[in-house]
Amino acid sequence: MKFRFAGPELPFARDDTTRFLPWLMAFMVFLAALSVAGFFVLGDAARAIDRGIENTVTIQLPAGDNVKADEDRIAGALTMLRAMPGVASAEALNREKIVQLLEPWLGAAARSTEIPLPWVIDVRVDRANAPKAEAIAALLQPYIPGVMVDDHGVWLQALLRAVRSSEWIAIIVVLLNGLAAAATVVFVTRAGMGLHRETIEVMHFVGAHDTYIARQFALRASLLGLKGSVIGVVLAAPALMLLVLLMGNLGFGLLPEIRLGVGTWISIAGLVPVAAAIALVTAHTTVLKSLGRMI
Amino acid sequence: MNDVVQFESVGLRYGMGPEVLQDVTFALDSGSFHFLVGASGAGKSSLLRLMYLAQRPTRGYISLFGRDVSTTPRDDLPALRRKIGVVFQEFRLLAHMSAFDNVALPLRVANVRESEIKRHVEELLVWVGLKDHMKARPSTLSGGQQQRVAIARAVIARPKLLLADEPTGNVDDHIAQRLMHLFDELNKLGTSIVIATHNEAMVRRSGRKVLKLAGGELRVLDNVADDDSDEFASVFAGDRGRILL
Ligand SMILES: Nc1ncnc2c1ncn2[C@@H]1O[C@H](COP(=O)(O)OP(=O)(O)OP(=O)(O)O)[C@@H](O)[C@H]1O
Ligand SMILES: [Mg+2]
Repeated sequence: MKFRFAGPELPFARDDTTRFLPWLMAFMVFLAALSVAGFFVLGDAARAIDRGIENTVTIQLPAGDNVKADEDRIAGALTMLRAMPGVASAEALNREKIVQLLEPWLGAAARSTEIPLPWVIDVRVDRANAPKAEAIAALLQPYIPGVMVDDHGVWLQALLRAVRSSEWIAIIVVLLNGLAAAATVVFVTRAGMGLHRETIEVMHFVGAHDTYIARQFALRASLLGLKGSVIGVVLAAPALMLLVLLMGNLGFGLLPEIRLGVGTWISIAGLVPVAAAIALVTAHTTVLKSLGRMI
Repeated sequence: MNDVVQFESVGLRYGMGPEVLQDVTFALDSGSFHFLVGASGAGKSSLLRLMYLAQRPTRGYISLFGRDVSTTPRDDLPALRRKIGVVFQEFRLLAHMSAFDNVALPLRVANVRESEIKRHVEELLVWVGLKDHMKARPSTLSGGQQQRVAIARAVIARPKLLLADEPTGNVDDHIAQRLMHLFDELNKLGTSIVIATHNEAMVRRSGRKVLKLAGGELRVLDNVADDDSDEFASVFAGDRGRILL
């Protein structure tokens, strides 16, 4: 038996209209793949920020004239903090670490003894009954005047909101890409129907069901969609890896290491069947709708 | 009710133009054979188009095989159309397909098995004298050969109603007679046949019933001899000139 996947009746091979469908599909799937990757990276970031908000409090103690006296005060503060309910651990950052943290901003000046760098205590708190920043400040204030307690709340919350809305934007971009793909398929299918009007009419006259005709358009569109989305994913993969490499070099301190996990890659690969399915269903309904208007 | 086709007060106009068909009322029995005659532009093709569901009437009632066409759901139309074979005046062969595939089309859309399609189509193409042109594209065939492909496509699925628009217009007398013989055979098997034609000799020779269109009205004549006046001859008068052209 002759292999008739898209049917021999409709001469799609000669269409110019369907020639550009794979490339449009490739472009849209490429964008969608970037958005999907962005969505996952942002999700990781949001989780890390969330953890930070709930788990860490940073305490700054002004440096005095005498290092030895400062160290004694820090030791006292650590003892008090560790005794506090809800505190999991409290560690002083050593001088070298603080200098490292400030170096990107201050440059060589960070190493200068002229600038009085504050001391920093990193406190990890229990999620369940974390003490408020104000409570910690009230505890330490009598012993260490000028102490500053920061639970990062305000600006981490703001950052978290920004990341969460970016996640939504990524989702919306993916959905819009889906809509654009569907619209493209509608356009290409309509153009194809115009081009093959005579064939379609004759097929009708000899007793073809609308679905018989629609199936040929749908299979054709999904094959082209498949081809295009494979191209899109194949182009997106190296682009994403390059992006990750570049972003990794930037070294954001706050955000976790940017990496694309298995889940991300599976989701990106999932764009291929999704695009093919969109093409299939859209072409099929487009043809049925248009044929319904013919006699 | 044994009527294959039934028209009641059917009227047809294109756009804002005059009525091409007015109050057309007639019925065709199963197994009947009619020639459809009328001057060029009288509306023969239009009447046939109504019968093969390519056109909706502007008024009146049409039923095919006992079903009111206007209330038949779209999903049931293919089943009706499969009982109707059509030879179009302009053939309407699909240019990108071989003669074989053109003739196979009605069977393919009905999902007939490919092995069966091959057997039937080849047999028929041999019968209409196109044994050596099965793989040929329509554009490489002569007018008469194309016409035979069109006829083969119309009869391949053993229709209950065969509508032919000038099916012998492009072939020599010998082939015309052969095609008429094919129609006769089909008719004997119970197919109702309507053939629109300008071929006066063929109509006279056959002694068949005649549907005559003039001035948008349709009259059914038992045979050409029944035609009072010289009207019948005048139906063809204009066409002799045309054929000479
Ligand atoms: N699609 C159309 N749109 C507008 N007018 C049409 C259309 N088809 C046919 N007509 C008009 O309807 C009338 C009947 O045309 P039709 O083709 O039915 O005649 P006919 O009897 O088949 O002629 P012929 O013998 O030349 O084939 C003509 O006046 C023609 O101009
Ligand atoms: Mg005509």
